[in-house]
Amino acid sequence: MGGVEDDEPASKRMKLSSEELRRLSNGSTIKEPVAGSSRDLMARPLQSEGGEEVVGSKGVIKKVEFVRIIAKALYSLGYIKSGAHLEEESGIPLHSSVVNVFMRQILEGNWDESVVTLRNIGLTDERTVKSASFLILEQKFFELLDEEKAMDALNTLRTEIAPLGVNDSRVRELSSYIVSPSYCSLTRSPKQDTVRARSRSKLLEELQKLLPATVMVPEGRLEHLVEQALVLQRDACMFHNSLDKEMSLYSDHQCGRDQIPSQALQILQAHTDEVWFLQFSHNGKYLASSSNDQSAIIWEVYETGVSLKHKLSGHQKPLSSVSWSPDDRQLLTCGAEEVVRLWDVSSGECLHVYEKTGLGMVSCGWSPDGKWIFSGLNDKSICMWELDGKELECWKGQRTLKISDLEITGDGKQIISICRETAILLLDREAKVERFIEEDQTITSFSLSRDSRFLLINLLNQEIHLWNIEGDPKLVSKYRGHKRTRFIIRSCFGGLEQAFIASGSEDSLVYIWHRGTGELIETLPGHSGAVNCVSWNPANPHMLASASDDRTIRIWGLNNLSTKRKEPCSNGIHYCNGVY
Amino acid sequence: MDVDPRLYEQIAVNDNDIHNIIMSYLVHNCFKETVESFIACTGMKQPSDYLEDMEKRKRIYQFALEGNALKAIELTEQLATNLLEKNKDLHFDLLSLHFVELVCSRKCTEALEFAQMKLTPFGKEQKYVEKLEDFMALLAYEEPEKSPMFHLLSLEYRQHVAEILNRAILAHGNHPTYTAMERLIQQTTVVRQCLNQEHAKDGPPPFSLKDFIKS
Repeated sequence: MGGVEDDEPASKRMKLSSEELRRLSNGSTIKEPVAGSSRDLMARPLQSEGGEEVVGSKGVIKKVEFVRIIAKALYSLGYIKSGAHLEEESGIPLHSSVVNVFMRQILEGNWDESVVTLRNIGLTDERTVKSASFLILEQKFFELLDEEKAMDALNTLRTEIAPLGVNDSRVRELSSYIVSPSYCSLTRSPKQDTVRARSRSKLLEELQKLLPATVMVPEGRLEHLVEQALVLQRDACMFHNSLDKEMSLYSDHQCGRDQIPSQALQILQAHTDEVWFLQFSHNGKYLASSSNDQSAIIWEVYETGVSLKHKLSGHQKPLSSVSWSPDDRQLLTCGAEEVVRLWDVSSGECLHVYEKTGLGMVSCGWSPDGKWIFSGLNDKSICMWELDGKELECWKGQRTLKISDLEITGDGKQIISICRETAILLLDREAKVERFIEEDQTITSFSLSRDSRFLLINLLNQEIHLWNIEGDPKLVSKYRGHKRTRFIIRSCFGGLEQAFIASGSEDSLVYIWHRGTGELIETLPGHSGAVNCVSWNPANPHMLASASDDRTIRIWGLNNLSTKRKEPCSNGIHYCNGVY
Repeated sequence: MDVDPRLYEQIAVNDNDIHNIIMSYLVHNCFKETVESFIACTGMKQPSDYLEDMEKRKRIYQFALEGNALKAIELTEQLATNLLEKNKDLHFDLLSLHFVELVCSRKCTEALEFAQMKLTPFGKEQKYVEKLEDFMALLAYEEPEKSPMFHLLSLEYRQHVAEILNRAILAHGNHPTYTAMERLIQQTTVVRQCLNQEHAKDGPPPFSLKDFIKS
């Protein structure tokens, strides 16, 4: 039939094993030639009786275990005949005959016999035997109670369960069950008091967990091992940036660089001066950009590309930044040392202007519940308003600088801004506690991670530092390579689970690093002026936007995107000047 | 070593007060004959209302101590009506004594039925649940003396319940529930503790009755 015969000479058995090896490994390649593998197998010491035969090229998989977990998996999948056939053909039974008898007795409710059989299985640990007996007798107890045979149940408790001497607290609970039919201990869920005995197959599962794996193969073991391998592969995948890609068992998972946006798909030319800032909305459906031309633009993101939705004019000064409301329905724009304006995204209307006489605003931000807005002012204070313009609070003193970003953490408690040239202030506005991040170099900009746990800081000396801001701030990583000498350059988090860092640079390139290792992965050419700001689409890890002094915005996506675009272009670049 | 007597020798103590202290002790513990002798020897006034009840209280105490809770309950109902209704904790403790009796005499079916009828109704209130569980656990063991709850079968436990019952009956009759003697010793102990804590080494040592008697 093809099974290994015991009376065959040793060498022949070797060759058959490598044949089985091929059959069992299901298509994964074995690099060594056949002769080589036989030699390897021969070199390993063979146990004489019941031979410790192994499968796989590394010789760590015991054949008996391998076949048994496959058989178990076959039975779990419902392929009973195949499972039985495997047991027969391999000569390796899933369970010993004693165990088979035991399992049948449990399912048929022959409690007393099953306890006896349990002893025959030959377990070495007395405690395991007692615990298993306890579980079985407990089932017997509850089934008697369900049949309203209280005295029998009491008897079982007294003469069979209690004498085991394990789990006194459970014995206590069981006593209470007999006395009071509606008894509900705190540990047992209230739903279970009508039918007290659980199903026998559940009992069998519990017993499987209790008994050693050699006696009863655990449920789902093969599936667990495969999942473990997949998870390890995914964690080791450095460029892992794909939502959709299903992990396949046929080959090891490895995202290539092709999962990082690296090709300019669109060039947006609607601003008439340097574009200083841009940011995707939280839901990734919109992009807002602001420029030296005193306007801001709201772009809408479609399957096919990005197109202009509204041009927001009104400011009398260049716009330093924009900020999306948490529900993405409104947008704040900040004029450099001027006013902050609130816009409605769908209509493009200006809803409110926030200002303070005699002072100019330098930054803006939202509270996470969208009820309040914050703004840094050029007298170094930070103020908080209700949407209708009513001022609620003002933190005076050295809180911010004339040029500074402003962020609020996701719990609404911390306000973050650059308070001194080389320091960032983390102000807990409820607890009134201040924490500082001190750097050696001048800080030019920063951005907050989505989970509010990390801060990415751009420094004058062309380094980007990543800090963990939970508890005492700690420096985690540094990223280098990009260029910055004169202007404010911004960086951001991005990609699946924010595993990447992107930054603009004065050499017109967009830089992308792997966050964990700090390795520079990509530099994207295309702009013809300093790249001031980048933003990675939070809803689409394959889309990145960059804003440049060359007055354009570039939208970057994956290379070879034929599946995603309807109209193939000659060089893949789509120009957009506001009329799509 | 107790405190030096010279520190307090000069305080005068009235003989009558001492007699009262002793009397309150004897009455509390129902030593009827001793009370009668003592009155005869000292020429004290006889506290009339105490004596009848003393005999009844004594019998109730004895029954409780033996574990004959049902008899104790019956007599208590006669002597002090509604006492147990108002004192649910005590009622539970007495009923559980009976339960323990049944368990000890290995009358499992009776014990189970008794528990289901009389004890489980208490289980509706959260504060009785754990106590109830303690007692019910006794059912699980063929030798309850060897179970984790063996202390519930002890003489000390019955004594404890009997004393609570005694105090409750006294309270019901508007009599003092603690003897003067007990109170005095308790107070001395606390006072000495305070002094000790305040003055550390220099202060008097904590109160020990043994040392006091020896000194």
